[in-house]
Amino acid sequence: MRYGYGYFEEDHLGQVADAGLWRRIIAYSWPHRIKLAGAILLSFAVIGASLALPYMVRLGIDNYIVNTSIETAERMSGLGTLVSIFISAVIIGFVSNFFQVVILEWTGQTIMHQMRQQLFSHMLQLDIVFFHNNPSGKLVTRLTNDIQNMHEMFTSVIVTLFNDSIKLLGIMSILFWMNWRLALILSLLLPLIIVNTLWFSRLARDAFRTIRTHVARINSYLQESISGITVLQLFLRESDTYTKFKDLNNAYLRSNLYQIKIFAFFMPAIELFSAISTGCIIWYGGGQIIQQHMTIGDLAAFIAYMRLFFQPVRELSQKYSIVQSAMASAERIFQLLDTPSSISAENTKAGKADIQGNVTFQNVHFGYGANQTVLKGLSFSVQPGQTLAIVGATGSGKSTIVNLLERFYEPDQGNILIDGQDIGTLDTMWLRQQIGLVMQDVFIIPGTIRENILLDWEMEKAEFNEIIEKAQLSYLIQQLSDGLNTKIGEGGIELSSGQKQLLTFARVLARNPKLLILDEATSSVDSATEMLIDRAIRSTIVNRTSIVIAHRLSTIRNADNILVMEQGKIVEQGSHTELMRKGGLYQHLHNLQLARNKEPTFS
Amino acid sequence: MRQTFIFLGPFFRQYALRLILGFVALLGVDFLQLLIPRFIKKAVDSLEKGIATESTLLSIALFIFILAVGIAICRFLWRYLVIGFSRLLERDLREWMMSHLLTLDARFFKRHPAGEIMALSSNDLAAVQLACGMGLIAFVDAVVMTIAALSFMAYISPTLMLIAVAPMPILALVTRLLTSRLHARFKKVQEQFSKLTEFARSTVSSIHLVKAYTQESYQSRQFGRMGEEYVRDNLKVAIVQGALFPFSGLVANFSLLLILFFGGRLTIQGVITVGDFIAFISYLFMLTWPMMAIGWVANLFQRGATSLGRIQRILEEKPALPDIPSAGHSMPGAEKITLNHLSFAYPDHKEKILDDLDIEIAPGLTGIVGKTGSGKTTLCNVLTRLYPVADGTLFLDDRDVNTLPLAQVRGSIAYVPQETTLFSETIQFNISLGREDASLAQIQEVARAAAVHDEIMALDGGYQARIGEKGVKLSGGQRQRIALARALILDRPIIIIDDGLSAVDMKTEHAIIRSIAPYLKNKTCIIISHRVAPLVEARDILVMDEGSVVARGTHQDLLRTNTFYRTIYTHQSIAQEPER
Repeated sequence: MRYGYGYFEEDHLGQVADAGLWRRIIAYSWPHRIKLAGAILLSFAVIGASLALPYMVRLGIDNYIVNTSIETAERMSGLGTLVSIFISAVIIGFVSNFFQVVILEWTGQTIMHQMRQQLFSHMLQLDIVFFHNNPSGKLVTRLTNDIQNMHEMFTSVIVTLFNDSIKLLGIMSILFWMNWRLALILSLLLPLIIVNTLWFSRLARDAFRTIRTHVARINSYLQESISGITVLQLFLRESDTYTKFKDLNNAYLRSNLYQIKIFAFFMPAIELFSAISTGCIIWYGGGQIIQQHMTIGDLAAFIAYMRLFFQPVRELSQKYSIVQSAMASAERIFQLLDTPSSISAENTKAGKADIQGNVTFQNVHFGYGANQTVLKGLSFSVQPGQTLAIVGATGSGKSTIVNLLERFYEPDQGNILIDGQDIGTLDTMWLRQQIGLVMQDVFIIPGTIRENILLDWEMEKAEFNEIIEKAQLSYLIQQLSDGLNTKIGEGGIELSSGQKQLLTFARVLARNPKLLILDEATSSVDSATEMLIDRAIRSTIVNRTSIVIAHRLSTIRNADNILVMEQGKIVEQGSHTELMRKGGLYQHLHNLQLARNKEPTFS
Repeated sequence: MRQTFIFLGPFFRQYALRLILGFVALLGVDFLQLLIPRFIKKAVDSLEKGIATESTLLSIALFIFILAVGIAICRFLWRYLVIGFSRLLERDLREWMMSHLLTLDARFFKRHPAGEIMALSSNDLAAVQLACGMGLIAFVDAVVMTIAALSFMAYISPTLMLIAVAPMPILALVTRLLTSRLHARFKKVQEQFSKLTEFARSTVSSIHLVKAYTQESYQSRQFGRMGEEYVRDNLKVAIVQGALFPFSGLVANFSLLLILFFGGRLTIQGVITVGDFIAFISYLFMLTWPMMAIGWVANLFQRGATSLGRIQRILEEKPALPDIPSAGHSMPGAEKITLNHLSFAYPDHKEKILDDLDIEIAPGLTGIVGKTGSGKTTLCNVLTRLYPVADGTLFLDDRDVNTLPLAQVRGSIAYVPQETTLFSETIQFNISLGREDASLAQIQEVARAAAVHDEIMALDGGYQARIGEKGVKLSGGQRQRIALARALILDRPIIIIDDGLSAVDMKTEHAIIRSIAPYLKNKTCIIISHRVAPLVEARDILVMDEGSVVARGTHQDLLRTNTFYRTIYTHQSIAQEPER
């Protein structure tokens, strides 16, 4: 089975009501249920405190400030007691709020960390085919931005959804309790507010999406223009580039101005509703006071509560779009998590601990796509300890041999055997541990040189030093003030491509595999490094079955056997002397000039 | 701060009318908003005194409504006008940046990589825009509201006003303190996030190596450690954030309590009316936001100024190649290139890459060979005027290049660089990059000469196929050949090919050398190559080493006289090697 789907995510919106997604999200949150429950309890405290304050003002006015039926001294002291009671409410509100924010961030981050970790590990288990079909940018986005989106939902949205709904309900019930008639009149405004906010959030979302598209266009255009500035200048394209950029920039401006208009229209609208409600309270509430159905304190409390009422309404409408994008992210993350590996791991076992290193290809056919055959019935065999050089033009299928032997792909037809065992029956991890791979590109982890050589390996110091020596790294390390502990990669020093090559040889030597696959680098390095690499190759090849995609004449000439490939087939085979004597393609290529033949690794 | 204003001054002047109207609208909002509590007070007082009637209440309610409509209109106006200004400013600055960048030379771009410029255009411009939009508004609004609310409060009771604002300075102080800490911690989070991203990216992009070395679980562990650190960094932010936002509420509530207590006492004592008391509370609510905003605004301004400073530095960068206006005479066919004791070092580097070159390159094919780092590519950079040279060192047809318009010099050179840059456009666009008016037939002709036509036709969409992330993927060799076609179509008197066929296999290279020969006829052609074979026919071959020309002659001459040349030739061509 091959993966057909690509990722088209730009304009995809998640289904907020997708029960399956929610179930999985809840499953992730379940282990943290105690913390989450604590956060919810805290939110009652926060809301309680914030809603108590206007009520306190009402009590203060009605019971003491305008209450002329009791003594002045009693009114004063009553006011004092009231204030001290509510100081504690204010402090409780503050402390609860603080802990709620921290607990939720902690929980949310922990869940996201776990999800990201699971996704990363899962992704690394997938086959190369998967990575071939999915650009790395997309996969990284899953791990970073999509997880981030979900986290945003976790911390800010779930809280505000919860807090705001409780708050709205609380306010509504207090209002109805104080004066249900006035509350009823005010709740007539509610449908208007809801329609208004929903309409707004739709328009705002569309506007935002347009802006994002324009930003992306500007950025990619700028990026490309700057990286290609030399070419643009040499081809005298400055004014055209500028004009095109200006157009993009103006389109971006227009989309921004449109967004401003939408916000400028709808943001004041909420305030307008707030003013209308104040008007209603004064008009109708005032009438109720005249008829003695209501107190002045009630009126003040009503006005204060209405002010509190509009903030959650606004927030709820803004959070809806965050939920939508988070659901879209969740969908993509789960889809990736559900992607199975296509190379079957069933019925495989680790091979013998001590392999000989005999490699045989038997009539192997392979193509990356349906009508794109790369290898057409390839058969060859390498005896233990021997060196096989493969030469041929770009696209002749050399790198594919590496891909198949590492079991990154499975042959369409035919068998690949190691010590007589089909690699399809061997454990992939075990198989790869038997093979040392030196490619033209090198992956560097952020860390010291030592860490980069050892990776997950461990080793005696003396042995390690010997490897440094063999890989011709000693000179480089002496040059560095921190020696082996020099940081390389992100945030460290940058090694030259030749130095990186040497480091890879050290990696292979440290692992001491029985099989070596070497794709000789063709990038130009200075002659001193060239010599070091040459020595490193020689010391690595010793005592190993080596398959070399060769570019250097010295390597080719020293090989025990040479395969000359053309269009997925072996056209000639033999030692250097034999092939030269034969006078075929090999000799021709040789005479043309074999060295300095560059080719991309995974063609 | 002062410099910032001087720099932005012209923009403020340009959009003066828009800004003035916007701020008038903003003042209108503030003024009308402050009137609402007055109406509430009137209603409450009349209710308390028992003189209120349904009709007075209704008229007050209507007044409030009318005020609210006025506020809404004014709000719309300031948002549209002032925030619109910030967007216009953003556009103008970005446009200015682009037009300036296009005039800068390679020296500049060596010091400022694309990523840095991207950050300027996105993050830094956004910071400036935010400071000049919302920041400016919040600042003006906060100042006006504070003054107005305070005066209304003082009008009711000066003592009570002082009591009410007592906690406010603490709020402003704490907010400022916490925001700066928040900023620092947030930066840490972003850094860790980009580390995480970079790690994931490098792992995914070298996945075949990760798998070949069975590093899956090791990489996962490393990623996990970074993730844990990221969680910790986020928690540190949350702690500050968790304190910051509730804190403003805390202070506002304390003010409310103070007013309730002291204001209540004053009301009981009959110093102020109940209506005053309630209006006072409304004014207090108006004060909370400006107080919160001050810390935020200060932060916005600070970041905006820093970002603007960065943008300013780029805009003040002088092009090292001052452009001379074209004198009208175009190059009839500049062919002879003369280097007169030309030396060159990259900026910030002492070491001379080109050392006292004194050569003349005449029409015909000139080859240049040499080790990596011998100065071949640098020579191309200098010839194509990507880097400045001293007066009297480089001549085109006996005219000092420093006296010639830049466009004229570049317009007479077709260049195939070592690193191929193609644009995310169609293949047709890319080939006709320097000659937009080229017909499809002409484009196909050069593509044939560069031996890439058949491969283009095999692509989905042919010449209309788009290159780039969302389009077709081309191999290194295909890209190089398209770049060659792009140079051939220019038909300029000088053509420079800097190792432009390194990714093409031998056979194809030979075919290309033959098929492009007609295009090179009667031109000054410089070919830099790692391989000797294409240069066998050259009229003249220069061997470079450490920035100097160490040998010169035809292929046969050099084979006899130059050891380096002979070595690489024999290394590359086995025919001359004795059998073992």
